[in-house]
Amino acid sequence: MADALTIQPDLEFIREVTENSGGDLKKCMQCATCSAVCSLSTESRPFPRQQVLKAQWGMSEQLTGDPAIWLCHDCGDCTARCPRGARPSAVMDALRMAAIRRLAFPRFMGSMIGRRENGAIMFLFSALLLLSVAKLPAFHTAARPLIFADMFPVSRLEMFFYIVSAFVVLVLAISAARFIKELRSAGARGAILPSLLPALIEIFLHRRFAGCEAGKVRRWGHLGVLFGFIGLATASTVLGVEMHLGWMVTPMPLLYPLKMIANLCAVVFAVGVSILIWNRLADREKRVGSSFCDWYFLSLLGGIGLTGILSETLRLAQSPDWMYSIYYIHLSLVLTLFLSTPYSKFVHFLYRTIAMAATWQESKSTGRVQLAAGGPDAALPEGPGLPHAIGMRS
Amino acid sequence: MDKKLGVYICGGCSIGESIDVDRLAELARKDAKAAVCRTHACLCGEEGVAQIQADLASGAVNAVAIAACSPRAKMERFNFGARQLVERINLREQVAWSHKPNDEDTQMLAEDCLRMGVARLEKMEPPEPLAESISRTILVVGGGVAGINAALEGAEAGYDVLLVEKEARLGGFLGELKKTFPTHAPYTQAENNGLAEKVRAVSAHPRVRVFWSTQVVKTEGQPGMFDVTLQNHHGSETHRVGSIVMATGWKPYDRSKLTLPGCDLPDVVTNVELERMAAAGPVTRPSDGKVVNSALFVQCAGSRDPAHLGYCSSVCCMSTLKEAEILRDQNPDIEIFVIYRDMVTPGQYETYYQSVQDHALNFFMKGMVTGLERDANGKVVAHVDGSLMGSPMRVPVDLVVLATGMAANSADNDGIRALRDARRTLERNESETQRTEAEKVIRQLEDREGTEILHLGYRQGPDLPILQSGFPNSHFICFPYETQRTGIYAAGAVRAPMDSQLAAEDACGAMMKAIQSVEMAAQGQAVHPRAGDLSYPNFALQRCTQCKRCTVECPFGAIDEDEKGTPRFNPYRCRRCGICMGACPERIISFKNYSVDMIAGMVKAIEVPDEFADKPRILIFACENDAYPALDQAGMNRASYDASVRVIPLRCLGSMNIVWIADALSRGIDGVLLLGCKFGEDYQCHFIRGSELANRRLENVKDTLERLQLESGRIELVQLGIDEGDRIPHLIDDFVARVRELGPNPYKGF
Repeated sequence: MADALTIQPDLEFIREVTENSGGDLKKCMQCATCSAVCSLSTESRPFPRQQVLKAQWGMSEQLTGDPAIWLCHDCGDCTARCPRGARPSAVMDALRMAAIRRLAFPRFMGSMIGRRENGAIMFLFSALLLLSVAKLPAFHTAARPLIFADMFPVSRLEMFFYIVSAFVVLVLAISAARFIKELRSAGARGAILPSLLPALIEIFLHRRFAGCEAGKVRRWGHLGVLFGFIGLATASTVLGVEMHLGWMVTPMPLLYPLKMIANLCAVVFAVGVSILIWNRLADREKRVGSSFCDWYFLSLLGGIGLTGILSETLRLAQSPDWMYSIYYIHLSLVLTLFLSTPYSKFVHFLYRTIAMAATWQESKSTGRVQLAAGGPDAALPEGPGLPHAIGMRS
Repeated sequence: MDKKLGVYICGGCSIGESIDVDRLAELARKDAKAAVCRTHACLCGEEGVAQIQADLASGAVNAVAIAACSPRAKMERFNFGARQLVERINLREQVAWSHKPNDEDTQMLAEDCLRMGVARLEKMEPPEPLAESISRTILVVGGGVAGINAALEGAEAGYDVLLVEKEARLGGFLGELKKTFPTHAPYTQAENNGLAEKVRAVSAHPRVRVFWSTQVVKTEGQPGMFDVTLQNHHGSETHRVGSIVMATGWKPYDRSKLTLPGCDLPDVVTNVELERMAAAGPVTRPSDGKVVNSALFVQCAGSRDPAHLGYCSSVCCMSTLKEAEILRDQNPDIEIFVIYRDMVTPGQYETYYQSVQDHALNFFMKGMVTGLERDANGKVVAHVDGSLMGSPMRVPVDLVVLATGMAANSADNDGIRALRDARRTLERNESETQRTEAEKVIRQLEDREGTEILHLGYRQGPDLPILQSGFPNSHFICFPYETQRTGIYAAGAVRAPMDSQLAAEDACGAMMKAIQSVEMAAQGQAVHPRAGDLSYPNFALQRCTQCKRCTVECPFGAIDEDEKGTPRFNPYRCRRCGICMGACPERIISFKNYSVDMIAGMVKAIEVPDEFADKPRILIFACENDAYPALDQAGMNRASYDASVRVIPLRCLGSMNIVWIADALSRGIDGVLLLGCKFGEDYQCHFIRGSELANRRLENVKDTLERLQLESGRIELVQLGIDEGDRIPHLIDDFVARVRELGPNPYKGF
């Protein structure tokens, strides 16, 4: 028998979760409709019912390391059936945000989650930071054809992103370590490394997304974003490294294979993001239950996709008035995404992968299929490697 | 009475298409010697009924046999006055609709039905109604919310009411409370107690006489003429009342009986103690008088636990919500934890639950409190297990509240009686073994001493018998206020756990029954379930052997005894079930229109073919409350069953006298099937335990059978509900098949 938990409700935590879930946390009467209709909930982890109860009782410590909040795919089946309008899926979403905040490194950065003004500050900060590598006065007078390197020389930009990436990787590594520690203390003791491969296969196939009734179309949106993002990130990284080493010069011809793959990925990505945004807007429950975090992350992805495609189009059109400014915005958004990775919904790719791997064995033994990955909502996959700048140049 | 028999046979509702009505009429004329016999294609039509009325008016006929539909149909149509002798012969539901048309066996069945009906009519006499002077004053015992409302309802309906309260003030439990459950939209807040207004109204009502600080010390007599002695510090006086509403309310379940470890700690209080603390001033910790910053409620403290109260007390969840609100009014920052098994907040109360639950500092969880202990900081730690948390929890709080349940404020009549009997055994100085046994009983039941409330002068004990969990009501479904003592009705929390709103409604219902009881008594009529019945049993006491079976078995305590043990019948207490008639081994008890002789005559009227005819005869004694309607139901559904059965309805299976079975078997009837109501814990018998008593008598019958060298399988008792008409065909056909297997009754033809 486990040790007794001493109950001291974390009132601040209750307030935070109540606020971020649309104020419906207290409405739950523990009827268990939610965990019964959920296709992913298991007997040993009866989410979202158990998590809603823990949240009502302010048990923040148990919830930070609870893998179940990450096993949820936020499809909204539970919210659709909840007889009291408690929006369990919105509560789960708020719990994920709370966990991200508590796991963040450095800790004060956790507080940026969910604050509107901090979102804007992050973007302005990124834009200013980028100026440090820009070739400021010269690019308007550049010789034709106009290329983006006129504004951001490849060597400087690559070095800049190497440093930023290293920083982000370090921060994510610390967050991951914290999360694993919390997982262990919350009783999820499954070995992570041996289960990583089956978990990743599940994630790439998105099989369990199909079990959710309320958001079938989301599966395709999420898959599009996942593969579009991985494709673009890989292409950009390969290209960036080759250019840096002097093996390749941009812009590439449109029919160049790598270019074709990158453009295809951009289209898949943009379609995926559009589906996710449409899905969130079309479903009333989902719309009401969406928090700023959801919209912040989705807007970043949407903005990156839009400005990336625009930048390429404007470069092809050789429009000096617009191509540089749009490209600048595009890079600023990419940097914002990078810097806010550990403090936004983006980081679900990390926590969910770990949570799935840590519970992989127990899910096998209880006989219920383990879940695929997926975003708390629109989000990105737990991809291998680092997401590099998307459409950094083209 | 010299009978001029009129037999009226209906051919409608497909009776005529399935039975040869003319042959039946011939039988009536020749064998039954009917003065008048008529057939009609639609007897219940204007013409048919007018014909019967004309025959009655002309004096050609004074006893009417109507061979048509079930006696349960067209009651008003064939009602020729309460004292007119009428026998209904059921040719429709139990012959035409349930058997093969134009078949020899069906025709034989119809003919037997006619013979039985005529036999019954021949022995029937018109009842002579009771006509004593009846008091219409109604006594209400208990001045809580139920008593006050009952008194007001009775007084407003025009009856004089005596309201007796043992405390010096009216109001009972509700009167002590600061707040009550929400009664108005939006049902989100507890309300101030509004009872004071009702207390004023009842105290000032010209038809109500309130007795404060008064107890009932004696209740004698019978409905319509109860003589009730009331005693207070001024002395005692006797009042005559017609009926009684028992509204003695509830008491909190004794917390010392709880087995939860640590429930006797100083900072653990019951919900009732908390209510009293709150009414007196701000609630503080009993141990040190400090402010309560956190409290935990243990729900179902004793309720829904077979070792304590086997039922849901129905108010504790709502009380807890209300008390949470009271505590929060005192201290807005208090943390309140509620550990429940299920929150029971029916109807609009759910809204109140939601509104209390909505507060951020109110924490609800389904789970089980396994123990309480005091920690080093002086807090009470509640150990909670079985919750969704997956691991046990410790919740340290300032105050723990036990939501204890409601126990009825009733007296255990049978316990008191057993105690008194044991005392008498000691006094009489009987044998050693009897004395030891009596001492054991006294030790067990000593605490029942002095708990009497009504002090009834009944042979069967001084109070209302209780059937389950201390509640004195008798039949949960059909007669909600009924007790086992006619003319005494239970209302409010003494009847079933309920809140004040329900108790107020309950009081109204019970008062209506009490009024009905005096009005029926004034007309010499029985109350439910034989409402309107003018007959009552007559005792041929010169033949009585003082065996006391009738006085013991009467479920309503209607029969007292004199010193020698001769029954003293109180007709107004009687429900006319006939259980005494079934019990009497000397067969000295009979009704004018229902007797041992009459049913024996019906049995005799059945024509029994000889053993070579391969036509067995099965007699069915059917309870006319449940089994008989179920047989009708089978007919209405056109469910066919064996035509060898002959059905005799009984007022209650408990009125079955075993002599009928002996008669039937000695006449060559091959089997007897008894259809009665379900008995046991969830009994459905309209007279509490008639079918159970019949079943007990059957044990003796089986011995008799063995002496006669007959197989005991020829007799069976089956418990049948009113809604189980679908069981009839199988039930009967299987029994007939089993009897056929035993072969014909060897007594045939003797």
